[in-house]
Amino acid sequence: MTTYDLIFYLFALIILVSAFIVVAARNIIYSAFSLLFTFFGVAGIYVLLNADFIAVVQVIIYVGGILVLIIFGVMLTNKITEVEIKTESFQVLPSIIISGIIGGTLVAIFTKTNWKVAEPQILDKTVTEIGRFLVSHYMILFELAGIILLVALIGSVMIARKEKLETEEVEK
Amino acid sequence: MENNSIQNILESLNYFTPELALMLTFFVLLLVDLFFRKSKYLLPAISLVGFIVSGYLLVYTPDVKGFLFSTGMTNIGLYVIDPFSFFFKILILLAMIYTILFSLSSKEINEAGGNRGEYYVLLSSFALGMFLLTSTIDLLLMYLSFELVSLSSYILAGFTRNVKRSAEASLKYIIFGAVASGAMLYGISILYGLTGTTNLYLINFYLSNQNIESLPLVIAGLLIIGGIGFKISMAPFHFWTPDVYEGAPITITAVLSVASKAAGFALLIRSLKIMFIDYTATNLQSSAWAILSQFKWNELIAGLAVLTMTLGNLAALWQSNLKRMLAYSSIAHAGYMLTGFVILDNQGIMAILIYFFIYLFMNLGAFFVVMLIADKLGSEEMEDYTGLGYKAPFLGVSLTIFLISLTGIPPTAGFVAKLYLFGALIKAKWIWLAVIGVLNSVISLYYYLKVVKNMFLRESEIEYSHNLGHGNLLITLSLLIPTLLFGIYFKPIIEFAEQSVRIFGF
Amino acid sequence: MMPMKNYILTLTIFLPLIGAVLLLFINNEKKNLLRYFSLIISVITFILSLGLFFGYRDNQVGFQFVTKFEWIKSLNISYHIGIDGISLLLILLTTFLTPITILSTWESIQTKVKEFLFFFLVLETGMIGVFASLDLFLFYIFWEAMLIPMYFIIGIWGGENRIYAAIKFFLYTMFGSLLMLVAIIALGVSAMNQLGYFTTDYTVLKTISSNLLYSTQLLMFLAFALSFAIKVPVFPFHTWLPDAHVEAPTAGSVILAGVLLKMGTYGLLRFCLTLFPQISIDLAPYLSVLGIIGIIYGALVSMVQPDMKKLIAYSSVSHLGFVVLGIFAMTIESAQGALIQMINHGLSTGALFLLVGMIYDRRHTRLISEFGGIAKVVPIYSTILLIVSLSSIGLPGLNGFIGEFLILIGTFKSSVLNSYWYAAFAATGVIFAAVYLLWMYQRVVFGKLENQHNKDLKDLNSREIGLLLPILLLIVWIGIYPSTFLNKSELSIKNILKEVNPTKVELIKK
Repeated sequence: MTTYDLIFYLFALIILVSAFIVVAARNIIYSAFSLLFTFFGVAGIYVLLNADFIAVVQVIIYVGGILVLIIFGVMLTNKITEVEIKTESFQVLPSIIISGIIGGTLVAIFTKTNWKVAEPQILDKTVTEIGRFLVSHYMILFELAGIILLVALIGSVMIARKEKLETEEVEK
Repeated sequence: MENNSIQNILESLNYFTPELALMLTFFVLLLVDLFFRKSKYLLPAISLVGFIVSGYLLVYTPDVKGFLFSTGMTNIGLYVIDPFSFFFKILILLAMIYTILFSLSSKEINEAGGNRGEYYVLLSSFALGMFLLTSTIDLLLMYLSFELVSLSSYILAGFTRNVKRSAEASLKYIIFGAVASGAMLYGISILYGLTGTTNLYLINFYLSNQNIESLPLVIAGLLIIGGIGFKISMAPFHFWTPDVYEGAPITITAVLSVASKAAGFALLIRSLKIMFIDYTATNLQSSAWAILSQFKWNELIAGLAVLTMTLGNLAALWQSNLKRMLAYSSIAHAGYMLTGFVILDNQGIMAILIYFFIYLFMNLGAFFVVMLIADKLGSEEMEDYTGLGYKAPFLGVSLTIFLISLTGIPPTAGFVAKLYLFGALIKAKWIWLAVIGVLNSVISLYYYLKVVKNMFLRESEIEYSHNLGHGNLLITLSLLIPTLLFGIYFKPIIEFAEQSVRIFGF
Repeated sequence: MMPMKNYILTLTIFLPLIGAVLLLFINNEKKNLLRYFSLIISVITFILSLGLFFGYRDNQVGFQFVTKFEWIKSLNISYHIGIDGISLLLILLTTFLTPITILSTWESIQTKVKEFLFFFLVLETGMIGVFASLDLFLFYIFWEAMLIPMYFIIGIWGGENRIYAAIKFFLYTMFGSLLMLVAIIALGVSAMNQLGYFTTDYTVLKTISSNLLYSTQLLMFLAFALSFAIKVPVFPFHTWLPDAHVEAPTAGSVILAGVLLKMGTYGLLRFCLTLFPQISIDLAPYLSVLGIIGIIYGALVSMVQPDMKKLIAYSSVSHLGFVVLGIFAMTIESAQGALIQMINHGLSTGALFLLVGMIYDRRHTRLISEFGGIAKVVPIYSTILLIVSLSSIGLPGLNGFIGEFLILIGTFKSSVLNSYWYAAFAATGVIFAAVYLLWMYQRVVFGKLENQHNKDLKDLNSREIGLLLPILLLIVWIGIYPSTFLNKSELSIKNILKEVNPTKVELIKK
């Protein structure tokens, strides 16, 4: 096992453990903070893959933007720290069995398959390459992603406004 | 190289005009909604115009064209224009146009007030997503358009505010949908890992020339089928369907049951057919699943089809809510259509196309009548339909005809749909599957008749009168006449479907 | 051929449908206009079918009045109709019974008159169409399309339990007919394998079906036979029949017994026998046994029925058992007898249902125990009931005798069945029939007039007598001079039997 491998597994471990805490934590603040480590772990893996630009973007947008927003949201909501989130477990045994089977199959696949290995390319300017792809081959995908984000935005606005309307009606 | 690819993209845009028209509609609606919130007819009118323009451009798109948006790097692009996608796009546009027309008289939608703008905006993005799904030949584009369709439909399903069941439906839909698209993405990533490309044709090329272990391929195939299966409400991925269909506004239920299913089927047929078919084989029918020969795909799908239709039909038997019953029945119909997918030769695909085309009219018709009655009656419970056939004769008779057609009794169009489907099955020697399909039709007869029974065979004292406007009358007729006409004279659909089985590259 | 001759059959089929559509434009309130209009339509249809009867050449083999139009080119499905002697007689029965039944509803149907007559006329088109179709696809469409009007007739105008009965009727028949659909498609596909093109044309399929594997043929035969057996109904598929008959309005029962059940036996005779001759011969003993079980079972159950209508319903099971036996005995006599028995049953049982309906209209009960000693109160009614009952029993000189006698004779010397026991057991059915019908007649008509309600029963009015008279006339006619009808069908029956198996089936000239 090379150092490279070691670092990869370290990051993978960070991602898994922190993601588990996000789901399992009873206090939403803990969840939010542990999400921070998940995002960092993913960024670390990007660095390992030589995708420097994406790694930076991951840190800036997810950690710097989204996560901070989430934490703000959590903090500013009244008394949210006292709310116990339901994290009960149902059907423990069947789910362990099923996920065990699925997980086992996947592990078997990952270890036994001859994956098609891409030839390692050393690119000095990944930003340029990404940019070029986005306006040529993946142009349509890029545009589509824009529309999807717009739709998501509309949706979230609608949901938010709905809440507001409902509370107004209650006040009346 | 760069110039070349830009030129290529610009040229491709000529073929992309129907989709561009939908995009334009989307943005125009968004802007208009900002300034003219109060107007009742403006937004639907714009959407209608958008869809019709898109349809016009669709019909006049120059010929077949493969591989749009290819660049110098690979000559194989992301998108194809072929008769197959044309058929489904027409189908989707028809369904969308009907949905807009339905929405005009829907009480649920009109009472939504300020949110109506978003409703029409999202419908157009929904249509755009489905258009892309029918033509994509790239896994990445497939995933993104899948997400566009899903996101739009999640929001639309929960559109009616203040209605608790609508919100619940939306949430359920999102959770199930997220799992499904996650699964699909996982399958895509395995395929990419195996072949190093996201293009369906290249995947096929790679798979047929390299010796690939079957297990990862099977898992990838299963995950992708599962993801798409969610969209077409195939068992065992159908659990969301009844709740969502019941909770969503009825116009959305109608469009989900027809258009979104059609897009799902188009995607399923195209992606699996392109990826896993051995081109070199002379006899396509026997070698449909050549690349995955280690695994009996057709038997798996036959099993799923049987499961889907039987579960759908049996569950529909016990429903007392008409909308929920139609939801289960639409699961059953997905099951019937899946049987055509088992064969995967031209006959089978043709049968699916014919079925869809007819299903469009009869299913939308049934939903429309249910909507009209529900708006007036305030209920979708079958009990409340008692004696309705005499109080609203036109609607009662129309609903009866739609339901009889859904059962598949001649001389309605539904019979023709089933005839071709079972015919294709028998031809391909899947007789047991045809027999199970037939038995399922008998089960479905019972619950469809239950509605007819309540409407005509029982009397009630309830006061009910329905003054159908001219518009609604015309809409109903425009669905009713094809349902009856295609039962007797179905040559045009057959010919249309015959021309449309051509998938690019075959 | 003259062009008129070509279209007369098509016109006979579709005239009722056109009438039904025109009916929709008449105002709901003008009930008598509606009734007269549909009566006239059905009478014209009858006259047209008389044209068929007199135009039919009984010395000519094969189908006559054949019309063929291309319909769906890609599947080679055509609008192909034509009649031979068998279909001719059954069409005549249909067009004869329909106006009578419409006349019988004059007073008993007072609600939703227009809808009733509409369904009735649509039903008539379906029935005639079934008998005239020479394309299995067309046949199937008529066959299925008929279910819907019948469903509504039972379901809307029926008795207390009508909804249950209507749904049961629909589900049973649908179940069988969908399996038949699978068999039809399978036949078409095998035609494609042999001839290179898909077709559902009966005359073509007949030539290719015997080349198929024995097991394939067997499965197809079973699918067809099951569908027809449910319709007949052959024991043990009969359970829908009593419910449907008892709950249906009188007119519905008459048509159900008179014509709809015949479609099952017609199907057996026309399609099962000629499409799958070898299988038919091999399975003939089993089906004959089912027929005999039906004869005896139906008769025994009839005996214990307290309700007149139910009694007659079960007697149908018995009578149609004879028909099934006659068909599968495969001799000229038995098959001719089966055909004439179909007609007889349509007339006698139809008349019985009418008579029960008439008394039900007066007393609103059909229980035998409610009556007794009405002979003096309603003499005309009692006389007609007697004649019809005797005809149903099979008294010599009336029509029932001819049918049953021919069937028994034919069965007796049938080499396909090759045993006397069939005839012997079947003959007991005749005795049972005498028991249950005469016993019913005795309990209803004779005895002391104890029930006060019966004292002021009104006898039949002129309309009722008028509609029964034609039936009585035919009952006597067939009983005395059946050749009028037998001659028409003889060649066709012979032809069918020859197609089944020329060596094993006797072709003795009567």
